[in-house]
Amino acid sequence: MVRMKQHVNLQAHSPQPAKPVPRGQVRRISAEIWKMKALYLMLLPCLIWYFIFKYLPMYGVVISFKDYNFTEGIFGSSWADPWYKHFKMFFESPYFTQLLSNTLLISLYKLLFGVFPSIILAIVFFECRVSWLKRWVQTLSYMPHFLSWIVIYGISIAFLSETTGLVNRWITEMGGSAIPFLNGTEWFRSILVSTEIWKDLGWGAIIYLAAISSIDPTLFEAAKVDGASRLRMIWHITLPGIRNVIVLLLILRIGSILDAGFEQVFVFYHPRVYEVGDIIDTWVYRTGLEQMNFSLGATVGLFKSVIGFALVLGANKLAKRWGGSIW
Amino acid sequence: MTRNRFWSLSLAFVLAASLLSACGGKEEGAKGSTSEGGNASGPVKLEVSQISWGTNLPADDFVKKELDAKLGIDLKQTLVGDQADYESKINVLAASNNLPDLFMVTGKPHLQKLAESGSLLDFTPYLDKMPDYTKFAGSDVIKKGLVSDKQYALPKAGQAVSHTYWVRKDWLDNLKLQPPTTVDELLIVAKAFTEQDPDQNGKNDTFGMTGTNFQTFDPIFGAYGITNIYEGAKLFLEDGKVTNTLYHPKMKEALATVKKFVDAGVVDPEVVSNKGTMAKDKAFQGKVGIINLEWAQIVKDDQVAVWKGANPKAEWIQLNPPKGPDGTQNSNSINIGAPGGLWAIPKRLEKEPEKLNKILELINYLATPEGGRLVQFGLQDVHYTLNGEQIAITDKGKQEAGFTWLYQFAGREETEYLKTKFAGQAEYIEFEANLPRIQTLDGYVQSPPGYNAADANRFVEEEMIKFVYGKSSLDQYDQFLSTLESTFNYKNYMDSALEQLNKLGYGK
Amino acid sequence: MVSSRSDKIFNAIIYAVLVIVAIAAVFPLLYVISMSLTPYSEVVKNGGFIVLPRKISFEAYERIFADPALGRSMLVTVIVTVCGTLINMLFTTLAAYPLSRRNLPGRTFFLLYIVFTMLFNGGLIPNYLVVQSLGMLNTLWALIIPGAIATFNVLILKSFFETLPEELFESARIDGAKEFRILWQVAIPLSLPSMMTVGLFYMVGHWNSFFSAVLYITNTDLNPLQVVIRNMLLLTQSSELQAEITVPTAAMQMAAVIAGSLPIIAVYPFIQKHFTKGMLLGAVKG
Repeated sequence: MVRMKQHVNLQAHSPQPAKPVPRGQVRRISAEIWKMKALYLMLLPCLIWYFIFKYLPMYGVVISFKDYNFTEGIFGSSWADPWYKHFKMFFESPYFTQLLSNTLLISLYKLLFGVFPSIILAIVFFECRVSWLKRWVQTLSYMPHFLSWIVIYGISIAFLSETTGLVNRWITEMGGSAIPFLNGTEWFRSILVSTEIWKDLGWGAIIYLAAISSIDPTLFEAAKVDGASRLRMIWHITLPGIRNVIVLLLILRIGSILDAGFEQVFVFYHPRVYEVGDIIDTWVYRTGLEQMNFSLGATVGLFKSVIGFALVLGANKLAKRWGGSIW
Repeated sequence: MTRNRFWSLSLAFVLAASLLSACGGKEEGAKGSTSEGGNASGPVKLEVSQISWGTNLPADDFVKKELDAKLGIDLKQTLVGDQADYESKINVLAASNNLPDLFMVTGKPHLQKLAESGSLLDFTPYLDKMPDYTKFAGSDVIKKGLVSDKQYALPKAGQAVSHTYWVRKDWLDNLKLQPPTTVDELLIVAKAFTEQDPDQNGKNDTFGMTGTNFQTFDPIFGAYGITNIYEGAKLFLEDGKVTNTLYHPKMKEALATVKKFVDAGVVDPEVVSNKGTMAKDKAFQGKVGIINLEWAQIVKDDQVAVWKGANPKAEWIQLNPPKGPDGTQNSNSINIGAPGGLWAIPKRLEKEPEKLNKILELINYLATPEGGRLVQFGLQDVHYTLNGEQIAITDKGKQEAGFTWLYQFAGREETEYLKTKFAGQAEYIEFEANLPRIQTLDGYVQSPPGYNAADANRFVEEEMIKFVYGKSSLDQYDQFLSTLESTFNYKNYMDSALEQLNKLGYGK
Repeated sequence: MVSSRSDKIFNAIIYAVLVIVAIAAVFPLLYVISMSLTPYSEVVKNGGFIVLPRKISFEAYERIFADPALGRSMLVTVIVTVCGTLINMLFTTLAAYPLSRRNLPGRTFFLLYIVFTMLFNGGLIPNYLVVQSLGMLNTLWALIIPGAIATFNVLILKSFFETLPEELFESARIDGAKEFRILWQVAIPLSLPSMMTVGLFYMVGHWNSFFSAVLYITNTDLNPLQVVIRNMLLLTQSSELQAEITVPTAAMQMAAVIAGSLPIIAVYPFIQKHFTKGMLLGAVKG
């Protein structure tokens, strides 16, 4: 009930008022603001910080429309001719559609297959009654997060290389033929997705586990008294209890859908898998390296930001229906 | 409870903050004194920046001491480990007008960008003040630092000439084979290495040859008198004319030969995906018998310890590049236009003649025999002994002088230097230095606008892999060229490249 | 309480999942540890793969710890991590708490204001100029203040605060408590698991970060651990340098990974003990 009322309030304060606000309401709002002055005071340092460290440098985006020159600076540099020159270079690359689809596919696979394992693991941790087992596995599963992609690539080679990898040695010893896990186009994306899941499974579970730990324990106790099975409790108490966090993380992930993981792909890919593995960011890296073109990187970044922001707005709107939206 | 926690937290915070400001404060003090420097009295402060690849200056930096005393300077190096990090750092320093007094530029495109921005000082009027450097480097080297006819950088002299096929001598002996001298023999040996159990372990677990991508096949292209297909290796002079290896009539033959190796199953199936030291690791593990490598990666003492330690019977020898059908032989090409290192100075030094003169003096001094010996070998009679012209490194020199390359601003006479510093490996160094090689000119060429080298390189590389692995037929080679010209603007690039090279006097 | 048959099956599944996860994590980690302890020639002899080291050598660790910069850089990293995380938590909590109050006028605007910066940024050079103009170059502040807030963490913490039951705040307010007091005595203690999580994210972030040090720090005495370790492991393509530089072995690489991350990994067990069933909440309500 309380929630409902607040929701109505929230609508009234959203920045795009549908109809003119009557005078009495203005007074009421300013009274409300005054009542909450302490909250604004708390927020103030953060707003200032964002202004200085995020919004002041924001003028840098104009570099996308300029030919950058060190001594002239960002403002002084001349405008690109035509103004969309750098965008044109990106969009007109013969590889543009391939880059875009590779980026989206890799990113979507990671999203689809990456979210649920962490949630399940968090629930498993929470349900585990043997505390030493829980503690050990928790710590172990979180360690791979600290390995850099270069090291993980080294490990992958040791296990999966077509000629020297452990797995392929087993396969060939049992009479099969070696599988080009890292070497061919068929497996490349699956390897990207699975190594990422492996790396961040336990790390990703931390946040869900924290969310589950914050659920009111009396809910579980009441359910137990009612004779609910553990599966039912997971479905009716645990999952709804962390819905907020799940939805929040999903929205943010969707916003960064055009980031398919530069560092990882850069370490794993090679000319033979370019057609399935070359993504926007690796293309920018290679092109930028050749030409020292600052504007290109900024331009592609702007492209990604605009799409990402639109997706966040859309996803948030959608999320409002289920609760757990950001605003 | 809460109160206690609050106090301990605040205490920790205050402590930490005071530590922080202590560290910060110290640095500010140091910085203050830097800006005071450069006064008439005292040594002239010079700040130098370059990539260190992880090499650190020792606490007792005898090269610095010697140079400081000799030239009346206070030389301070700021080292960044990695190239990408270094470039980012130089870029922000350039943007904030904080460039160091002397710094390394990582390549032609970077130099061009900085020069076009007007961040750099043109060395042209000052070259006269560096007679030793100009003589030492020579005009061919110095012109590598030109951007639109202006000397925006001083290139380091000396270019490594290395790489050849190395082969497992003990495997040859096991199979009673002679070192191959032609491409055909190379294939026979590679086949035997793959199929006839050269390590006699009773398992079919070896390959003929490995390498990193097309670099594996460098000498095979060389046997046809052409260069490899990767970046920086395509343009060379033939009969006085500039030729592009992709357009060369022998290219199809060379690709067909490489394909023969691949089809015979003698090439490591992972050649294309090998990265870093993976190919070398396979060679050291005894999986492969032939590899195109440079001496430093295989016969330096620490490397020998690895493969000898793993298999005491192993023995690697160098091969002459295999001869092609008409007897041509060439090892890896060398890109003579690519600078080994470019030193630039910021525009602002124009107004600081004292610093500028000291820098010119410094670089010039390092090009003299005396200065060169200091930064190559260390202190005379401590780190090396001089007997007439003959230099011998002392044990102390071997231990302590590993970092001195960080001071070789003027460069060095590569082969002589290496032979002295690595006396034990002199014969290998000499062997690789004297092999026939095609000189490529790509380093002199700047990409014209509208041509994206990264896209074109990717296309070339991918198509070549398809030809070699039989995914496309060599009959389609001309079609490949026409796509390259139209879709990837390669025609435009070639026209511009020919014009630029003609201007420099190549292929008139 | 008697456990039912389905309960037993449920437990069995849980143990099975945990064991699988443990094995999946342990095997490669064991490989990393074994590699770091095995002389490189031994690795090569074994075809590049070692499961359990037969011949143990601490050479790789000795070479890493021989670097005189290591101890100092470790201290720098610890200082930055501790101070940085404290500042992070202060700013983040102060931002997340008001934003979690659904009836705060202007809340949508503020949230958009911060979320916008997750997607749009001005780039390297303008950021550098800001840090420079604040006089932070070459001080440890440059490693802390520009990263004082991570929007992601603000949103996480905000969403955790949102799940706290509204009645608690109401009753505190009726008791006449001021907002700062409610934050300190109600919201924070009740959100310990989430505070710990966010703190952990910040700590790990500080510990692993190196790029801001590369940009803002010129004085090598102030280099953090990750910069020093990164420098040890660089490979060069340049033939001129190939001769001069000792190529780091796989053992060194692995040893550096362990030396560089073990201290921060060791923090986790202390944090995870707060992830038990919402004890605190129960206590307050009861």
